[in-house]
Amino acid sequence: MKQPVDLDALRGSARVAGFDWTDAQLEAIRPMVGAALRLLASLEDLPLGDVEPTTQYRML
Amino acid sequence: MADLTFASAGELARLIAGKQVSPVEVVKAHLERITSLDGSLRCFITLTAEAAMAAAREAESAVTAGRPLGPLHGVPLGLKDLYDTAGVRTTGGSKILADRVPAADATVVRRLREAGMIVLGKLNMVEFAYGPEGRNAHYGHARNPWDAVTHRMAGGSSSGSGVAVAAGLAPVALGSDTGGSIRIPCSLCGLAGIKPTYGRVSRAGVLPLSWSMDHVGPMTRTVADSALVLGAMAGYDPADPTSSVLPVPDYAAALTGDVRGLRVGLLRAFFLESATPEVRTAVEAAARALEKAGAVVDEVALPGVGHVAAGALAVVATEAMTYHAEWLRTRAADYDPDVSSRLMVGAFVTGVHYVRGQQARALIRREVDEALARHDVLLAPATPVTAPRIDERDTTLGDGPSDIRSALIRLTRPFNFSGHPTCSVPCGFSGGGLPIGMQIVGRPFDEATVLRVGDAYQRLTDWHARRPVLA
Repeated sequence: MKQPVDLDALRGSARVAGFDWTDAQLEAIRPMVGAALRLLASLEDLPLGDVEPTTQYRML
Repeated sequence: MADLTFASAGELARLIAGKQVSPVEVVKAHLERITSLDGSLRCFITLTAEAAMAAAREAESAVTAGRPLGPLHGVPLGLKDLYDTAGVRTTGGSKILADRVPAADATVVRRLREAGMIVLGKLNMVEFAYGPEGRNAHYGHARNPWDAVTHRMAGGSSSGSGVAVAAGLAPVALGSDTGGSIRIPCSLCGLAGIKPTYGRVSRAGVLPLSWSMDHVGPMTRTVADSALVLGAMAGYDPADPTSSVLPVPDYAAALTGDVRGLRVGLLRAFFLESATPEVRTAVEAAARALEKAGAVVDEVALPGVGHVAAGALAVVATEAMTYHAEWLRTRAADYDPDVSSRLMVGAFVTGVHYVRGQQARALIRREVDEALARHDVLLAPATPVTAPRIDERDTTLGDGPSDIRSALIRLTRPFNFSGHPTCSVPCGFSGGGLPIGMQIVGRPFDEATVLRVGDAYQRLTDWHARRPVLA
């Protein structure tokens, strides 16, 4: 995620997810969403290709 | 008779079983201290004084009649206000659930009542456990008792639990820990507490933040008390599909005081390196103390730990959003905006992010397992800083600037991500008189060794015996 997140993108994503949040609400969280997406993008730097995701712990 | 409000849980249980003190005296002493101090400390959301006194009288009758007593008979207990309590509201520190009254106790609450504990009330916390500072816009910010002049963070999210035990309002409290919410308040308030292995203790009847990262456990003044309480809480529960069927060892019996030959891995990169000089010096001194007692200490690293923040964000943001989605559609204004805004971010985390996060988790868990194949326990600071001021937003760590929220959670979250058992133990005080905490990390389901090391360290030191000076 190199590009800043704009309000249109947030509005569209929120609606797809079922949230009818106002532009003011979305504008307020826009910097946090941008920071979160940049951080999440760093997961692509890990060698995760064939790693089985952890979906359960040692439920012995 | 020593001050009952600063006696350990184990000592109280022995005094009560020996008829040297009545449960009624014990509960009354704690309720009087709560009445005297909680106006400023803001620990309790709901105090159940009448029910506690009734339970104390019943406990006294059991002693008098010679009935069999549980291992914690008559010992008071505070509950973070996300543990369901039959007939008593459980708010999660929120306005949204302010009037929610569960019909049944959480499994661990029931088990601790069966062990003889007496619930004093429900403790303050960060709204829905989403934050490490200890602030709560609805019920007030719990106040760290170690600074009578400046309002400092208690740490969160189990803020009321930390303050109540540190200030002698309860000998034991339960916390929950998704990114450090037991260990952070333990560190900032000078307590012992354990986040057990994921699956060791039932989460049934505990409000979730993030199902796959949530752990529950005790917060106490001594490691020995944590061992006692954990033993009464732990074990398989059919109501929690992630709980383990492994038998529960006798944790108290594991506290031999002997660490000779134990291999301790000191986590320097990322952990000690990010701590402030006072914290780093205290944890290094603790490592030397263990070495002097016969442990073998060397340094170890977790190379992938820098990716935990991203992986944990993917997991927690998604799971928390899933739990809160309906309220965020219909009652967003009833949240503290600081909490709702962070929850809303979860709507923009994709399914691919979530699975990437869980894949990263497998990598980190493998790294911790590998470090623990060569060591019995790992040692690290619990928090890189001591208790910040309640209004503090930014700080400087050993490796650069950070916002307070990220700083507080930085060193604890890796072991929620990996699921390993980890306790926090006080290991010193800053020049300003604020507690410093260290973490001891163990192999999955080896809480016994974690507790053994923590207890041995407390036998070598007296940090846990200090008391805050309260007005």
